[in-house]
Amino acid sequence: MSPLLASLSTTVCQPVSLGDWRNLLAVIWDFLSLSLFSLGGGNTLLSEYHHLAVDQYCWLSSRQFADIYALAEAAPGPSSMIVGLLGMGAAVKEGPLWGVLSGLAAEAAILLPSTLVMVAAALSWNRLRNSPWRVAFERGLGPITLGILFAVGLKILRISDHDTPAYAVSLVVCVLMLRTKISPLWFMAVAGLMGGLGLVNR
Amino acid sequence: MTEGVHPTRLQLFLGMQQVALSSFGGGLSAWSERIVVEDRQWMSKEEFITGLTVARLFPGPNQINMAVYIGSRFHGLAGAIAALCGILLLPFSLLLLLGLGYFYLHETLAVDRVLAGVITASAGMALSMGFKIAGAYNRDPVALLLAACSFIAMSVFHVRLVPLVLIAGPLAMAWYWPRTEQR
Repeated sequence: MSPLLASLSTTVCQPVSLGDWRNLLAVIWDFLSLSLFSLGGGNTLLSEYHHLAVDQYCWLSSRQFADIYALAEAAPGPSSMIVGLLGMGAAVKEGPLWGVLSGLAAEAAILLPSTLVMVAAALSWNRLRNSPWRVAFERGLGPITLGILFAVGLKILRISDHDTPAYAVSLVVCVLMLRTKISPLWFMAVAGLMGGLGLVNR
Repeated sequence: MTEGVHPTRLQLFLGMQQVALSSFGGGLSAWSERIVVEDRQWMSKEEFITGLTVARLFPGPNQINMAVYIGSRFHGLAGAIAALCGILLLPFSLLLLLGLGYFYLHETLAVDRVLAGVITASAGMALSMGFKIAGAYNRDPVALLLAACSFIAMSVFHVRLVPLVLIAGPLAMAWYWPRTEQR
């Protein structure tokens, strides 16, 4: 078992403090501007989240990011709520209240632009539905989303798994996700047990 | 929409909250249909399916977009916000609680070991996302080329999402622009 703090000491960059309001605005702007690039149900944004939270702002270590992704997948409700946990990770060192507020702010920022667009779309769908823009957008962005989802999957795999047993479990889960209708919660429960027993390590 | 029940904002909020609660083991979309179409009769099945199409097409998480669609059909932006709050309040509060637990406990050895296992499963789930929708494109070589280029740009050349979509998106849209003879 590697020392738990090892991952923290390997990060070179310094966490950005949100106490400075300019930093806070910059962070909110980052989430606002990512919102409309949330294709394919939001999962295309995962590697951007990793880039922001781990590489750019250093709120989280890569292994914490992997943990948070698993947490958001396991918890009930839309897994895109992971943004709330990123926000929390950014400010939780200042105390739990700041963590919660920051989580709320991050989630609100990522949802606001896409919600406004969605309201406009819902109200004008009858005009949009036969528009060539709609057809071209749907057919053109689909394949790009596909490529991005593969890239995102590979990225999550790389940050989560570091030895052969771990990769093997991931591959088995991937195949079972595609071939069966078993609830993903079972995979997480079994894998968690394997981790607890020391069969899978970081 | 004229013949169905016309919910108030409060009813939208409570209805979406019921959707969120019912789906606490998964199957959010199915629960949403059962509650909105069958139990409360806010929409016909056809309207609901149209909503799902719109929710998947536009940016944003699908299930959240669907709530926004339902809310805005009845009360515009205010209805959208009521529905959004309804579907998010309980799951998001629970997630933040879990998050606090995580940030204060993750350095505990037992928690860390269990998580080390759980993340291998979630990584497998993440890997399956692409394969899940890949089947729709395997007869279209241009689509596969676009997908391959996007994948390589991101994974090998570390191109960020925003510039990638801004460059590849318009090119792909031009290629797939509906030509008159197709329609």
